Amino acid sequence: MRRMKLGMAAVAVLLAGSLTACGEAGDDDNEGVDVDVKEDAAEDFDEGTRMRELAEEGKVTIGVKFDQPGLGFKGATDDAPSGFDVEMGKILAADLGIDPENIEWKETISDNREPFLEAGEVDLVLATYSITPERRAVVGQAGPYYVTGQQLLVRADSDIDSLDDIRGTEVCSVTGSTSLENIKAEGATPRGFDTYSECVSQVLDGAVDAMTTDGAILLGYAAEQPDDLKVVVEPFSEERYGVGYSLDHPEMCEWINETIEESFENGQWEEAFNLTLGEAGVETPEQPELDPCPAS
Amino acid sequence: MEAVFSNFGEYLDAFGVTLALFAVSGLASMVLGLVLATMRVGPVSVLRGAAGLYVTVFRNTPLLVIFIFMAVAAPKLGYTFRFVEDVEIAGWNVSAYFTRACIALTLYTSAFVCEGIRSGVNSVQLGQAEAARAVGMTFLQSMRHVILPQAGRAVIPPLASVQIALAKNTSVAAVFGMAEATATMRAFNNNYADQRVQIFLLFALGYIVIVEIISFGSHMLERRAKVA
Amino acid sequence: MRLAGVQKHYGNLHVLKDIDLDVARGEVVVVIGPSGAGKSTLCRAINRLETIDEGEILLDGQPLPQEGKGLARLRADVGMVFQSFNLFAHKTVLENVTLGPIKVRKKSKAEAEARAKELLERVGVAHQAAKYPAQLSGGQQQRVAIARALAMDPKVMLFDEPTSALDPEMIKEVLDVMVDLAERGMTMIVVTHEMGFARTAANRVVFMADGAIVETTNPEKFFTNPESDRAKDFLGKILKH
Ligand SMILES: Nc1ncnc2c1ncn2[C@@H]1O[C@H](COP(=O)(O)OP(=O)(O)O)[C@@H](O)[C@H]1O
Ligand SMILES: [Mg+2]
Repeated sequence: MRRMKLGMAAVAVLLAGSLTACGEAGDDDNEGVDVDVKEDAAEDFDEGTRMRELAEEGKVTIGVKFDQPGLGFKGATDDAPSGFDVEMGKILAADLGIDPENIEWKETISDNREPFLEAGEVDLVLATYSITPERRAVVGQAGPYYVTGQQLLVRADSDIDSLDDIRGTEVCSVTGSTSLENIKAEGATPRGFDTYSECVSQVLDGAVDAMTTDGAILLGYAAEQPDDLKVVVEPFSEERYGVGYSLDHPEMCEWINETIEESFENGQWEEAFNLTLGEAGVETPEQPELDPCPAS
Repeated sequence: MEAVFSNFGEYLDAFGVTLALFAVSGLASMVLGLVLATMRVGPVSVLRGAAGLYVTVFRNTPLLVIFIFMAVAAPKLGYTFRFVEDVEIAGWNVSAYFTRACIALTLYTSAFVCEGIRSGVNSVQLGQAEAARAVGMTFLQSMRHVILPQAGRAVIPPLASVQIALAKNTSVAAVFGMAEATATMRAFNNNYADQRVQIFLLFALGYIVIVEIISFGSHMLERRAKVA
Repeated sequence: MRLAGVQKHYGNLHVLKDIDLDVARGEVVVVIGPSGAGKSTLCRAINRLETIDEGEILLDGQPLPQEGKGLARLRADVGMVFQSFNLFAHKTVLENVTLGPIKVRKKSKAEAEARAKELLERVGVAHQAAKYPAQLSGGQQQRVAIARALAMDPKVMLFDEPTSALDPEMIKEVLDVMVDLAERGMTMIVVTHEMGFARTAANRVVFMADGAIVETTNPEKFFTNPESDRAKDFLGKILKH
């Protein structure tokens, strides 16, 4: 697994290197979106809000995934994570007048996102964090900033291009995940693994016919190896990624939604997507409609 | 509770996979372990060395590493074992995942079986082997007719612990593509986050039943061996 | 059978020193000597339970095969009786005697059993045939062991101190069987300190000490007037008892 991560990091480095060599992408690829860090941001927020506090402190802690290329990924040798979730985090921080350097990135895994928010270990969570009623009972989830759905990742030369094709085949994902249950319901034999990266290597080696999980995650892997992998079929579930915040600070919801809207309008959201998941050659998705914030 | 009882078929299927992994690897590891033990105590030094090396490698390598090798590294080297998918046994299609999991479990477990049998063989007096050789038996004949039958009783307890360990070790296959009991427990936990404790207890119970059956069987065998 | 220039070492220990020994068909040779002299090693070398470093051992003019099936066949031709009986503990008396003939000589079960019963009769334990070794006295066990060796129709019988693990009252029953065997013309090499047996049955006595054959004489002369000082010294010790 460690080796896999290193392998991915190597790919990422090569990719970055080749891009720089071509002279494309103008600024340093690792920097991602060119965010406009607001000057004197604290003035914009009312006294007593969490946003004001953060702006005055000049730093923020954001929980992201470290193992999902394209969304939140940090290789063993990387200083900071990268991916669409990470870029969205930078956009939010910039609105508080916080420079990307002053963001503390914390790794959150699926199981600890709510506990981290509740305990104040992180201020925000952007970690492929699907909005569900159960989660909204314990934490706040603003957005969605991205809507994805379960799809299939197959080898580039695979014939699979519809859900019907996977009946009777073997499809891998993470052991115990909802994606695996769903694919079983579609008539495939589920093959569970501990991590997505092991599952990807099963696809590459021909040990399984496909991998399944949220399309966004699959796109990240496809972006790393566009010659060997591709994402197929229309999403057959809906996953709406939201920004997690603590219910102790309900005022954050409106601010998050406004900042996301702003990024829709000024093109930063699209830029963030294109620099990360867009690498897979997928068109920029439609801008999702944001849920209204709960009345407080 | 309700999480498991309303999906009881899935619960049973999951333990069915666990039992299938156990039965196939258990049998295969006994056969391979016996061959290795015979090589290890035999007169041919090359075979003795080879069996010794095997035991050193597979007894000292974590099972998880062997699984990673079989499930992740072997396919990378081109060994996916997908050819077994053409095989059909009693209407069941053998899967490559099942095969690889059984190979990993067998490679690991047979090293322990070998040592269990070897300790049993060592418990048989040297004079028995000499007497067998003195009447003109070959090494294999003396193992088959004189040494192993007498080692029998001494090997039952260690082999029972090895098989009990195997029954629990099948759970490693949960993260290598097998929808066995532990993988299914994880799926239940994911779907019914509010019933985690009950789910855990019911799955633990399944394993306890399996292990109790093995140790009961071994006690019966031991009793029978004592009478003989 | 013939041994010529046989040498054997255990590490630095020279246990068999240049042993030459001829045993004619039907001859009975008693090997005697102090503990550690190498008597057991000699028996085991003849049966190839131990390898030798140098020299050769011929049976019927044929050298001993080195290993494999040929060696197993040779061992079948040389019967061996151990000090500690070594009956197969998980087999009945009858099975102990039939196992070799059935598995090695490939005889039918019926044939092997008929012959086994005859031999058990001869050594006087026929009525114990269905028992397990542990249920028998030492003397009975050793007689079964002799029957087991005889069942292979060996050309030579080796006895390594067959009576030294037995209580005195059982020694005679075993020696009687051996004397009977000698009278029937069996070629025998017997390691024993039983003077009575040596005097009645042996054609020759070989005295060994420190891995070498010190003297070879007829039994009468050996026990009354041995040539070597080692033998005199040794006899002095055992006769005191
Ligand atoms: N397996 C062995 N390894 C090392 N030394 C041995 C072994 N067997 C016997 N010996 C030694 O060889 C010598 C001869 O032993 P042995 O033939 O048993 O003598 P004996 O039967 O005349 O008492 C003894 O000194 C004994 O300690
Ligand atoms: Mg001795």
